[in-house]
Amino acid sequence: MQDAITNALAIKVACDKVNVHYGDTHAIKDVSIDIQDKTVTAFIGPSGCGKSTFLRCINRMNDTIDICKVTGRIELEGDDIYDAGIDPVQLRARVGMVFQKPNPFPKSIYDNVAYGPRIHGIAAGKAELDEIVESALRKAALWNEVKDRLQSPGTGLSGGQQQRLCIARAIATAPEVLLMDEPCSALDPIATAQVEDLIHELRENYSVVIVTHSMQQAARVSQKTAFFHLGFMPEYDDTEKIFSNPSDKRTQDYITGRFG
Amino acid sequence: MVGYTFLLILLLSAVGFVLNRNAAQELRAGGSRLHSLPVFHGGYALALAGLPALIFVLLWLMFEGSFVSALVRASLPAEAVAGLGAGELSLIMAEVQQTASGLIFGEPAQYVRDAAAYYNTLHSISDWAMFALVLFILAGGIFLARRSVATEFRARQRVEKVLSGLMIFASVIAIFTTIGIVASLVFEAARFFALVPITDFLFGTAWEPQIAIRPDQIAGAGAFGWLPVILGTLVITFIALLVAVPVGLLSAIYLNEFASPLLRKIAKPILEVLAGVPTVVYGFFAILVVAPALRSFGGDTLGLPISPNTALAAGSVMGVMLIPFISSFADDALTAVPRSMRDGSLALGATQSETVLKVLFPAAIPGIVGGVLLAVSRAIGETMIVVMAAGLIATLTINPLDSVTTVTVQIVTLLIGDTSFDNPKTLAAFALGLMLFIVTLALNVVALRVVRKYRELYD
Repeated sequence: MQDAITNALAIKVACDKVNVHYGDTHAIKDVSIDIQDKTVTAFIGPSGCGKSTFLRCINRMNDTIDICKVTGRIELEGDDIYDAGIDPVQLRARVGMVFQKPNPFPKSIYDNVAYGPRIHGIAAGKAELDEIVESALRKAALWNEVKDRLQSPGTGLSGGQQQRLCIARAIATAPEVLLMDEPCSALDPIATAQVEDLIHELRENYSVVIVTHSMQQAARVSQKTAFFHLGFMPEYDDTEKIFSNPSDKRTQDYITGRFG
Repeated sequence: MVGYTFLLILLLSAVGFVLNRNAAQELRAGGSRLHSLPVFHGGYALALAGLPALIFVLLWLMFEGSFVSALVRASLPAEAVAGLGAGELSLIMAEVQQTASGLIFGEPAQYVRDAAAYYNTLHSISDWAMFALVLFILAGGIFLARRSVATEFRARQRVEKVLSGLMIFASVIAIFTTIGIVASLVFEAARFFALVPITDFLFGTAWEPQIAIRPDQIAGAGAFGWLPVILGTLVITFIALLVAVPVGLLSAIYLNEFASPLLRKIAKPILEVLAGVPTVVYGFFAILVVAPALRSFGGDTLGLPISPNTALAAGSVMGVMLIPFISSFADDALTAVPRSMRDGSLALGATQSETVLKVLFPAAIPGIVGGVLLAVSRAIGETMIVVMAAGLIATLTINPLDSVTTVTVQIVTLLIGDTSFDNPKTLAAFALGLMLFIVTLALNVVALRVVRKYRELYD
């Protein structure tokens, strides 16, 4: 039943034979994956296998690293994002990202969330900006905790609140895809549960891609899972299938704790 | 002899260190578990022997001179010193000391020669006594320290106490030096204010301090209003910052964020060369290049009235001198902003310049303010460029094309040539110094506030 629903969803990001080189290191080798809309896709795999590197290809954050070279084809709704006609700045407004460590700007909570809408000129006036900020904070399940202190610094929040603030900041620009790079690795179990609940809800509107080290987390939050190993992606399937009956030997070894 | 004494302290303290350490190592080799590492037992011996000996020598040397002089003075024949004043007596004592050290001018009197010989004898006795006592103290210290070596002895705590004492001593030196500087300034300035009313100084608008200090001199009437001088300082500082802050900041941002690594590698050292140019050379540049260029452009082409010495020439060259301070501070501050801030902003679809302007720059403000503050202090304290390019005459003006003078320049001119420390002309230098100190202190306090405010926000 689950399979029938997810398979019917449209493909949001199509990646074909993507290769990434860091100087002489070949970090990603021929990875092809179709990421669905309104789905949580988890990237799992041992440390250094290329999950985060691949994630950063999807919003071209790898461009900020001089020695990094990406080849292959990545399409966002049919547009080649590495095409010369695509401005990475505009791409990143459509593909939001949440980082491993909460990184709120040294500004007020309000200014943190309003940062993206302001630079992209999304809001027409103060009232509309207020609305965007409130709705983003509500979606990030943070509104009730911070509504009385929107002008206090975002860096003064607890770790879990900071991470939800970063999620609110990312969804305030109304992206189509949300990339999350181990968003819970710096959080305690309670904050992790809150962020996971949030990811569940985000699926209704976005295509979410999450890199995680925790297989339990991947099983809890995702519908699709891709397993990365030494720069290759040996397996990509429904999460249920990956964790119950993986078809690749390496996947099986990893999820049963043989390595990683 | 004094040199040998210090050598002795060094050697015997080292011996004490090795003896104690080896004793402790032997204990450990014997199977017992020591409370402190052998090196701490060694350090304890070093401190117990060396420190008292060092303090003793310093005290001895401090009092030796006056004690020996008193004895020699008492030994002078009564008929030679009868009826002499304190000044003449100290002249004789100076002659005795010079004769004793072998610098003989003319024919010293026989009683001076005798006193010199006596002086030398006393000194050598004192030196030997000191040497012997130091040896005794060192031996005692080593003995006591060696006896204390035991498994349970807490040598580490003792050594750490000595170390923290040394650190307290070092900070106390810095604090007391500052207090001493301020006290001497306040003391001399108070003497000035006894001669010139403080209101005349603070609110007077004329500065003509070159008054006669001998009756036969022809000089100014004497007016000690500091307003024109401090105004000149502020004008020049303002011009310098107007040049240095934008240029320094923008070049730092460019080199840090936009320049290719190769360009950065070449341009940064060149920029830093500016910091190594002596200020005298900047002064040459100001009077030989900038001032004539200003005159020929502003004066001849635009028809503006421009004095030969201008605040603009001095201030703008000073600004060039300050560029590396600001740019290197700003560069460090920008580099110190965590990469995650940059990534966070870029991932939201901000361009590089939006990221710099809205995220990196605010986060780097504490460091940048530090650099600007340092530049302000340098500008206010800078003397050489201003002496050469801005002039010596105090004019109450904010026109940058006029000749102005600064506080530091006036201090220099007041203390050059004929000076006399009961004259307002000379003492005015200390009043100016005190005011300069107060102004920079106030600036420091303000800047510290700014830095603290932004730093709280950032962490």
